[in-house]
Amino acid sequence: MFTALVFKEWREKALVFFFELGILALLVAASFAFRDNADVREWLVFAVLLVFFPSAALVLGASGFDAEFRGGAWAYLFSRPVRKSVVWPAKLAALLGLLAALWLAYLTVWRADPGMADFTGSIRVLLGRPYEPGFPWWSVGQSFFMLTVAFSLSLLHDKPLNVLFASLALGLLIPAAAWAALNGWVTGYLARTDPSKSLPILLVSQVLAALAFAAASFLTFVRSDFSQPRRRMLGFARWLAPLLVLAAAGAAAWLLLSPASVERYMTLMRTTGGEPCFLTERGIFVSSGETGRIRWLAKMKQSYFFHASVAGGRAAYTFVDIDGRDDIVEELWIADANGRRRVIGRAPRENEWPREAPIADLMLSPDGSRIAILSANIYGKKSWPRRPPLWIINADGTGFENVPEDPALFGGADHRSYFRFVAWAPDGRGVFIHKEIPKWRGVSSIWLYDFDRRAARLVRDNATLASWYLPVSPRGDSLAIVVGQKTPEEPGSLELLDLGTMEPTNIVGTAGEIDRVVTPVSWDPRGDRLAYVSRRIEPGGQAAYVLAVYSLADGKSVAERPIARSESVSRELSPSWTADASRLVILDRGVDALRFLGPDLEEIDRVVLPRWMDRFSGLRIVGEKVIIDNGETRALWRYDLAKKRWKKVY
Amino acid sequence: MSELLRIKGLTKSFGRKRVLEGFDLAVESGRVYGLLGRNGEGKTTLARILMGVIPADGGDIFYKGRRINYGESAYKREFGFVPEDPFFYEDMTVQRLLAFNARFYPKWDGKRAAADLERFALDPGARIGTLSRGQKLKLGLAVALAAAPEFLILDDPTSGLDVPTRQDFLRDVIRELAASGTTVLFATHLVHELERIVERLLVLRGGRLILDEDFDKVKAEHQASLEDIFVRLVAGA
Repeated sequence: MFTALVFKEWREKALVFFFELGILALLVAASFAFRDNADVREWLVFAVLLVFFPSAALVLGASGFDAEFRGGAWAYLFSRPVRKSVVWPAKLAALLGLLAALWLAYLTVWRADPGMADFTGSIRVLLGRPYEPGFPWWSVGQSFFMLTVAFSLSLLHDKPLNVLFASLALGLLIPAAAWAALNGWVTGYLARTDPSKSLPILLVSQVLAALAFAAASFLTFVRSDFSQPRRRMLGFARWLAPLLVLAAAGAAAWLLLSPASVERYMTLMRTTGGEPCFLTERGIFVSSGETGRIRWLAKMKQSYFFHASVAGGRAAYTFVDIDGRDDIVEELWIADANGRRRVIGRAPRENEWPREAPIADLMLSPDGSRIAILSANIYGKKSWPRRPPLWIINADGTGFENVPEDPALFGGADHRSYFRFVAWAPDGRGVFIHKEIPKWRGVSSIWLYDFDRRAARLVRDNATLASWYLPVSPRGDSLAIVVGQKTPEEPGSLELLDLGTMEPTNIVGTAGEIDRVVTPVSWDPRGDRLAYVSRRIEPGGQAAYVLAVYSLADGKSVAERPIARSESVSRELSPSWTADASRLVILDRGVDALRFLGPDLEEIDRVVLPRWMDRFSGLRIVGEKVIIDNGETRALWRYDLAKKRWKKVY
Repeated sequence: MSELLRIKGLTKSFGRKRVLEGFDLAVESGRVYGLLGRNGEGKTTLARILMGVIPADGGDIFYKGRRINYGESAYKREFGFVPEDPFFYEDMTVQRLLAFNARFYPKWDGKRAAADLERFALDPGARIGTLSRGQKLKLGLAVALAAAPEFLILDDPTSGLDVPTRQDFLRDVIRELAASGTTVLFATHLVHELERIVERLLVLRGGRLILDEDFDKVKAEHQASLEDIFVRLVAGA
């Protein structure tokens, strides 16, 4: 019976279906005809996805009960030995089948012409999703939603055109209102700006609203007296109202209860007392060597940490308050080692805070008593007033000061420039800054801003950091830099910059057979030795990657050994010292193992990596634990050297 | 004869207008019932409620001893219905309509349907929307008869029929059905049409039956034509 009803519907709607298929064929044909005109093709794809399919769905849905209204066929249908609870789904299934057939036809063309996928990516941007070419499932959902709404309403009125426009209004209005309300009022700024949740909430609202319409329509169809249109209409409204409330509540519940909307991230900041400190969407934690567990310096829920710095047993970090869109403030927090934390600056409510522009970087002094702050207005956005970008504040919130700008350091900066704090001067009177201005190719330099003299000084020109993780020695008196190597592929020399005297010491240079330094380098926990990898061209012209250990006391490399033949393997080595500085651990992707090297770099142990650990972005050692973070899944793994066991710790 | 259908306390209103009020009826199988009532007295409403087209406000309907709820469909396989206003899917052809109906009725008699089409001079390929009212009535009758119903409800079907067909219908079809054991409920306001075929007379007024007697007994009691009897009854005489 269900099948008979479905076929009956298909026969009734065949004309409409083939008409729509014809229009789709014309649009697709036009797309092929204008193959060389990307603009026209793009608009044609837009036309199909944003106009054709919703319209086709509305026309099909609005004609759902058209045949029953004509000639009073309601009575005929209802007097047949078929349950109403079968008729309604059969009709809807038939119409959904027709719409699915239209989509299937389009999908076939889609498969045949990969270029179309690129165009929908730009539509996804409009909808708040990041660019991600692919089949536009959101448009499929939208059209099926429109069909369901139109079909649900079509049993209330005998004129399909009126139903169509009512469905269009309701179909757009209800999800839009739900989306705006949920995003704007329930979760505020976060949900609106979070691309991972803005589109799903729209789709969830649509699905739930469609279910509300469908359920109200079904119940009206099954239970109402069709000889009394007014009562039928009222019956539908009575069913729909509570169901829509339920749908809205369901969408709100989904929004609030679904997992954290912020993207999972985890970044190693630096170590404090030899323990690696990670910045995550849940806060800042330290992987404790003593307990083997993580210890939270600052714990939060669904938060954005833009900048953080750890030193002297404290963590300073910026946090965006997302309670309400009109109340977005960037706060500066300070947390003690025991987890106590408080806000020491907030914008834009407090006039003294320079919140015309966000914070671009911050750094705690080694003793944790002061914070140097770099404001983003250095990057010259027009809406941000031009003012000196460097600030300083005591960790207790006092002594807030905007130090004068030195044009030598900050002059000529624009949005392509890059400034980053490197280290505080050992005497605490200044801060080292890494400056890079891409338009001046090769102008990557290390500067010292002297707070006493209110002036900047160029410390080393044409130099960059030897590790992304601020390669300052554990004693804070030396910085490893690469000089002359404008890009990772170019020749360069490795130098140690004495942060007290500003004198550089060349460790390995471009002279001889070594032509390139492969970052990152690694300081031993005492700051006596530096492990690094360099590329060496052998007599046969073949490149070898050599791991070496430089001793500050000896003033030379005291050990070295070829470690890899491949550049990619050598870049992933992440050499790290054990807590007692007796061994160097490397992550050798060439053999998929952790390799433990002795003082002369001879291999003394090897731990094969589990097969499921395939992507790594960093390696640190805390006590008897090797900490590895997976750059792909943003997870943290620990290998216990004593127990020889892997464990996921975050 | 066994009881086929029983209706107890049936009520139905349209807005403030009470159409059926405490309507009771017992129908025995194999008999021809004539339901008389003035226009708007609820004959069509009763037929539509029995066919599940509209819900009743109250009361119970039992078919073969089993209570029928609104929305049930199985019992309709044994029901035939020829309405006063012929309503069909206008875009279907006659042949398609018969094929569509054949899926619903287990006792569907395709040969009978074809024979009736020929008998009523209906073109199988004609679109229903192009048929006249009389032709649609004939088609409705053909559909109802092909389903081989045990209980046939005729809701004033003859008013749109031409005279030869009406004669044919009343004389042959109804008698044929009665002879085959089909129970017939013939609702009409054209009193004289019942006279030749009815076995039991029902008169509806004010939403309930004011007469439910064997026709022979009624005639014997009143010694008058059915038309006169009806006028006396509905006039409140």
